[in-house]
Amino acid sequence: MSTRFDVIVVGAGPAGLTAAQQLASRGFKVLVIERGKKPGSKNVFGGRIYAHVLDRLYPEYVKEAPVERWVRRERVTFMTEDAWTTVDFETTKTEHRSFTTYLTNFVEWLGKKAESAGAVVVSEVPVDSLVIKDGRVVGVRAGNDEVYSDVVVVAEGINRLVLERSGLAPKLSPDIVALGVKEVIKLDKNTINERFGLDEDEGLAWVLAGYPTHYLPGGAFIYTNKEAITLGIVLYLKYGYQLDIPIYELIEEFRLHPLVKRLVKGGQLLEYSAHLTPVAGLNASPPNLYGNGYLVVGDAAGFLLHLGIIIRGVDFAMESGRLAAEAIIKAHDVGRYDAETLSIYGKMLEESFVLRELRTFRNAHKVLMEPRLYDDYVKLINKALARYFDVDGTPRRLGSTLLEAKGNITLLDLARDAIRVVMNL
Amino acid sequence: MHIKSNGSSNIMGGLTIIVPVKAAVPNVTAVRLDPVTHNLVREGVPLMLNPYDRNALEFALRLRDRYGGKVITMSMAPPSGKDFLESTIGMGADEAYLITDRAFAGADTLATSYTIAKSIQKLFPNFDIIVFGEETTDSATAHMPAQVASWLGLPYVYYAIEAEVKLEDRVIRVTRYLEDEGVYETYEYRLPIILSVYKNSNPPRDISLVRKINAKVNGLVKTIDNNVLKLERECIGLRGSPTMVTKIEDAKPIERKRQLFKGDPKEAARWLLENLIKEGVIRL
Repeated sequence: MSTRFDVIVVGAGPAGLTAAQQLASRGFKVLVIERGKKPGSKNVFGGRIYAHVLDRLYPEYVKEAPVERWVRRERVTFMTEDAWTTVDFETTKTEHRSFTTYLTNFVEWLGKKAESAGAVVVSEVPVDSLVIKDGRVVGVRAGNDEVYSDVVVVAEGINRLVLERSGLAPKLSPDIVALGVKEVIKLDKNTINERFGLDEDEGLAWVLAGYPTHYLPGGAFIYTNKEAITLGIVLYLKYGYQLDIPIYELIEEFRLHPLVKRLVKGGQLLEYSAHLTPVAGLNASPPNLYGNGYLVVGDAAGFLLHLGIIIRGVDFAMESGRLAAEAIIKAHDVGRYDAETLSIYGKMLEESFVLRELRTFRNAHKVLMEPRLYDDYVKLINKALARYFDVDGTPRRLGSTLLEAKGNITLLDLARDAIRVVMNL
Repeated sequence: MHIKSNGSSNIMGGLTIIVPVKAAVPNVTAVRLDPVTHNLVREGVPLMLNPYDRNALEFALRLRDRYGGKVITMSMAPPSGKDFLESTIGMGADEAYLITDRAFAGADTLATSYTIAKSIQKLFPNFDIIVFGEETTDSATAHMPAQVASWLGLPYVYYAIEAEVKLEDRVIRVTRYLEDEGVYETYEYRLPIILSVYKNSNPPRDISLVRKINAKVNGLVKTIDNNVLKLERECIGLRGSPTMVTKIEDAKPIERKRQLFKGDPKEAARWLLENLIKEGVIRL
């Protein structure tokens, strides 16, 4: 019975399947193990993929991949219960694009790519732990079965139970993750185009802060698909205990907010989902990204760049999967898979955008954890504008209106937070 | 405890158990109906193993683990059905057969039961037990066990939860559970027999990684088409299907009366009780 492979990949998501496809296409015998019903069935994301990685890895994606809409419009909204202020950006340029998609469909497509390259993809089997002998990872354990390989790529996602059970990562701390809940609401194409001011195949990406999380750190998002919109809430778990209602009621309230209600009117709820997401960048990484006989990629490695407005997971996941494959190919040439040989993976990550960008924004999460950003400042901006636009015969200068609206916040706080945001995001 | 046996150690060679399974549509509400034929449009819809068939497979595997022999799964499905037949091998089935041919497309339960019955007769004429799931999640007719039984001229028992076999006498004692009555009944038959398994019994075992790898890598799911089976065209597929769906209507939700009573809780309770009696919801 075939229970030995060159490489075992734990988890059929964007990172694992990219590694699998790259390795299988170079002649490696690859096994991918997925706990869900099929590749992608356990994946959840907000709604968009930045395409720069695909241009290089799968240039044919434009024709083949299940793209929903190309994002041409970006919105950021500071939202209170009865007022909201929005920055609305549009461009006619089409380079360096991003697109909305259903991640489940996209990952299924990646799964087919990996299989047609020769990888064996087995779903419906959860891996329990890595098999470690003499300080080396030599395979995986699932139930009573053990399967062996030269090297294991751990691509199990942010809830890294396999690494935990294998003693290679501590339990997740609430400081480094957020909980996302999401709904997909069906609406017909023309209604979406009209309500969001879009043309055929054009998409919108929207983040909203303040009221959606009851002014706690986190936010809401809305993306347009072809014939559905996705909306969701992300809440930093560190502050979860301060939430006064269950998070699934937050999303309900968000959907019923006057701003959102009219956008989803007449829609039909197709699905809902929830997932953890890493929000602390490199601080969410396990102690080691590689070791004797194993590599960690994607969300499991904490490779998600969260800048509040820009959130990038899939491109980081796929690039880390590609680099893991390159590192394994190099290690194969040397003939060893120990930590020293696999350290090439670390070097390649350093040179790639994965670690370059994550290092650049290494303090982003500390700034974004600041509760004032989601509470005082959201209220301030709306209060100031409300007063400014409310003409009743008393003269209002911009400056004095702002000072009046800022309430208890000191100018020093304001200045310090502004500098922190500008310097770190 | 169950006695492990690989089938050959048993004096009778154990049981040959067939488990026909179905590719069901996971979410029926997301599937379109063909406006003309009123059939489910299955093209492009992801398929999964009908969940109740897993309980049937577990029932069969327990018998095999106890008495030896082999369990063979079988499905009439499009070529993509290979995936979920691999899962049946992952659970422990010894062999799996995908019965696939364009000639079988568009079959109703009559044509399907004919195809399944004749396939079993041709491929495994000496079978002992055919085990079905109670029903499918996407059409829920529960026709298949009785129809296959009538094609083969065999007895059948629905809602089976467990069975004991006396191999030397070729006798089976089947216990079934009638949910509505809360009654257990035990029957004794001569083999071969056809069973359908109560859906809340025999919780299915996990899929084994090694078995599933083996199924995939070694191509254990065998494909059979009508060149092999040579079934009569008049009896299979759309041509062999007399069922006509004449009309499909959406069930309209019943409008609620939305009556509101404001005031004293005691009066409210009285008001509620009076109205419930008046509407016939409760009787005194």
